[in-house]
Amino acid sequence: MLKYIVRRLLATIPVLLGLSIVLFAFVHLLPGDPCTAILGQRQTPAACARLRENLGLNDPLYVQYLDYIGGLLRGDFGASVINSKPFFDEFSVRFPGTVELTVAALIFAVGVGIPLGRLAARHAQGWIDGLVTAISLFGISIPVFVLGLVLVLIFGVTLGWLPTQGRIEARAGFEPTTNFLLLDTALAGRWDLFVDVLRHLILPAIALGSIPLAIIARITRASVIEVSNEDYVRTARAKGLTERRVDDRHIMRNAWLPVTTVVGLQVGGLLGGAVLTETVFGWNGVGRWVVDAIGNRDLTIVQSTILVFALIFLIVNLIVDVGYAFLNPRIRYS
Amino acid sequence: MSLLDVRDLIVRFRTADGTIHAVNGVSFELEAGETLGLVGESGCGKSVTNLALMRLLPKPAGRIEGGQVIFDGLDLLTLSEAEMRDLRGKEIAMIFQDPMTSLNPVLTIEEQLVETIRAHRRVSKADARRRAIALLEMVGIPTPEIRLRSFPHQFSGGMRQRVMIAMALALEPKLLVADEPTTALDVTIQAQVLDLLGRLTTEGGTALILITHDLGVVAGMTQRINVMYAGYIVETAPTPELFGHPSHPYTVGLLHSIPKVTQRDDEELIPIEGRPPDMRQAPVGCPFASRCTWRLEVCWTDNPSLRPVQAGARLVTTGPEATHQIACHNPPTAEEATAGRPVRPGFRPAPAPAGRMDELVLLAEGPA
Amino acid sequence: MSLETPGVTAVAAAPRRAEERVSRGLWSDAFSRLLRNRPALVGLICITAFIGVAILAPVIAPYGPYEQRTGGRLEAPSAAHLFGTDLLGRDMFSRVLYGAQISLQVGVIAVLMALVMGGLIGALAGGLGGWVDSVLMRVTDVLLAIPGILLAIGIIAWLDRGMLQLMLAIAVTYVPIFARLLRGSILALRESDYVIAAGAVGASRLRLLVRHMLPNALTPLIVQATLILATAIIDIAGLGFLGLGPPDPRTPEWGTMLVDARRFLQTAPHIVFFVGGAIVVSAIGFNLLGDGLRESLDPRLKR
Ligand SMILES: Nc1ncnc2c1ncn2[C@@H]1O[C@H](COP(=O)(O)OP(=O)(O)O)[C@@H](O)[C@H]1O
Ligand code: SF4
Ligand SMILES: [Mg+2]
Repeated sequence: MLKYIVRRLLATIPVLLGLSIVLFAFVHLLPGDPCTAILGQRQTPAACARLRENLGLNDPLYVQYLDYIGGLLRGDFGASVINSKPFFDEFSVRFPGTVELTVAALIFAVGVGIPLGRLAARHAQGWIDGLVTAISLFGISIPVFVLGLVLVLIFGVTLGWLPTQGRIEARAGFEPTTNFLLLDTALAGRWDLFVDVLRHLILPAIALGSIPLAIIARITRASVIEVSNEDYVRTARAKGLTERRVDDRHIMRNAWLPVTTVVGLQVGGLLGGAVLTETVFGWNGVGRWVVDAIGNRDLTIVQSTILVFALIFLIVNLIVDVGYAFLNPRIRYS
Repeated sequence: MSLLDVRDLIVRFRTADGTIHAVNGVSFELEAGETLGLVGESGCGKSVTNLALMRLLPKPAGRIEGGQVIFDGLDLLTLSEAEMRDLRGKEIAMIFQDPMTSLNPVLTIEEQLVETIRAHRRVSKADARRRAIALLEMVGIPTPEIRLRSFPHQFSGGMRQRVMIAMALALEPKLLVADEPTTALDVTIQAQVLDLLGRLTTEGGTALILITHDLGVVAGMTQRINVMYAGYIVETAPTPELFGHPSHPYTVGLLHSIPKVTQRDDEELIPIEGRPPDMRQAPVGCPFASRCTWRLEVCWTDNPSLRPVQAGARLVTTGPEATHQIACHNPPTAEEATAGRPVRPGFRPAPAPAGRMDELVLLAEGPA
Repeated sequence: MSLETPGVTAVAAAPRRAEERVSRGLWSDAFSRLLRNRPALVGLICITAFIGVAILAPVIAPYGPYEQRTGGRLEAPSAAHLFGTDLLGRDMFSRVLYGAQISLQVGVIAVLMALVMGGLIGALAGGLGGWVDSVLMRVTDVLLAIPGILLAIGIIAWLDRGMLQLMLAIAVTYVPIFARLLRGSILALRESDYVIAAGAVGASRLRLLVRHMLPNALTPLIVQATLILATAIIDIAGLGFLGLGPPDPRTPEWGTMLVDARRFLQTAPHIVFFVGGAIVVSAIGFNLLGDGLRESLDPRLKR
């Protein structure tokens, strides 16, 4: 088990290295003149010189790369080329919004997708199965932002049931501390606002979670059906166990395994989809910031955001793989 | 009254490719403590017969479409699911072919043994655990206290099958069905496991249905043998009688198609030509007709039913009735059974009737 | 004493049947199976409609994609404008039709690019093995670690906006999938009997790869490409929605069209429905067809 974890950790090192090279090239190896590429119409000789100075573009490439890596290791993720504000200043304000959104979407996707998949598997080939298959087909075929717009239209514009823009009622004038608004409002004892934040979360979480939901439902269905045909499930029935026990203990304990892996892989899609969802719902998160940064050609911001998202993805999947190994005695005891 | 009485059991599978006639009216009886062998090529319906009496056919394709199963005075096919569940594992237990896949890989041996016991007896976990240890000891697993905490993948194939036996016998069932229990094991292990199985069922007075495609396995272990072909029992006899006087062409074929340790020079090896019939059609005549060298004209059109063999004074019976039965229009004589083919002068197997031949060719080539 | 003599068992009969199937023509057989698969047929119809509309847009569309009429802004659907009009009074029906053209063009070219790049990487990795394999697989790991749309955004930010850049950005996000797929099938096929046999009679490595392995690895690649076309169409629209689509903002690209839709959701909800509907229908089409192809090309994989 320990050996497995160590091996898994070591395997991420080349990926991190590759990632750093790609992201380094993203800013330091721009096609064409970096001043034109980054500054565009803001280009003046002075601004250009400052940019070259800040990015160290006058140094040899390998020095630039080592500087970049050194900076990252010290926790220096660069600064905006527009206003020179360090990356984390703004990131730390916006990141909690993205975390709340993606976690809510993941909870929705897992919480609905897995039961749907189990239901479909139990009634395989029946009409319930067909319905679930149709839902998941629709889920993977509808873009996040289209679903988002439709949800806004139905539940916001037409029915007026739920707020559709932002993370919290702006007029309430709430001053967040950590920017995890659910946490902040709860800590402040403002339960009315806590509910308000939750209500703001619902539509974006559904929009963002729909694709992972569809994928999770599919894999759960497939996994449960596959496990149900295993010999040991027949053994369990032959022992006279109740159907419920066969299901929970013998089928699900095995069916979980591929599902956990797939859930881990969804985190990448969620972080990517957050960019679109935040745009639809005027959500103050990292995603919208990145879109703005691209508009301003603020490449260091884009660079560091990609890095952080990729790191999150790698770490989550590392945890998932270790969890998988733990759930699976064939790996745990080897 | 017999322990198990299966009457005219019919099982079919409804699949996308059509209906599969897996078991076509099988009847047999089993006394308490008796040992019965069920033999036949793979695909002939042995497993399905026994899954059906456990009511564990794969759903929703597999259906029992006729017959009765009386176990210990109970009509199993009319019991509720909950009543049936009470019987499974407790009164009737099963061991499957592949010990590698028959144990749950994510549960410890202890969890799997204890849950079996506690599904049927109101005992504490500690008591169940003690019983589990005793069971592992009984099947010859060393240091059972330690091995209880292991997972299946930490055992060898033979050891896993021993665990399966321990689990099956945990509640001292009246009937144990062992479906090819040694097929997946090393030859050297096979004998040990069979031995254990034989010894424990004899000691416990447990009736045993031993399913196998290997006549050698049943020879030494069973009191009676049913030979199955294409979902029918084609010959049934007490074991010594079956080996001494095989009376159905298929049984004769089986005995001649495989080399024996005691192979004599004058005994030829005669393989059974052709393949079992397509189970997607109920056969018109004898299901063995296309492969049979004894067949008559009538065999193509009339499916013979089981009838007592008229073997005169040599007939061995264990009960009041004649117990050697075959389903055949033209049974081989004793001489022919030894030779492995018809020896009557001038005898030729009846050719297929016109129209039937094309069908047979199609069947032999497999479905489109 | 065993009855399991080969040739007389039902088990032995099964693979023989499968061989006969193959000999009768994998493709014609697969096609007939596809036609019997109802969901796949629906997919085929969606896609035929999608492609037909894309090709015939100039013939069917009642107006040009850029044609503006003053006065008729954000009109609701009517007989004159089936899908209504947009902010500049352009006929939405015509723009949605032309949008199919753009999505099809960009999507197909992007997926082909991904197929070629990924195929090359996968073939090299699987065919050569050793350190080449390790390095190339780490490259795909890096690409997979970056969330797809963010990777595409990054590439467009790096290369600046443009049609070719857009295709390339979409393509790169799918390269690792094709690379791994092809590598996987090559590794599996390398172990298979007939490739070993071909190697034994002295076929060169390249010849083996091209003549024997690629045709067999083709099936999963085609299935995957079809499924990826669905996501590619969604991704193209996503980039358009973020303002990173075709550089000319007037281009009738579905995602770009939705930017306005968002601003005028209340006054002109029809835009979301028609444009979104077009995206969903084409994505469903490719998804259904991909699943159907998978089932009909792989006879073992029955639901
Ligand atoms: N789940 C199933 N679906 C369809 N047909 C089945 C299924 N299980 C068994 N069969 C068919 O039933 C027949 C008998 O199978 P089985 O009893 O497993 O044979 P065996 O004698 O080898 O144990 C075979 O023709 C097989 O194809
Ligand atoms: S002789 Fe006739 S009835 Fe007897 S096994 Fe042969 S074909 Fe069947
Ligand atoms: Mg069997």
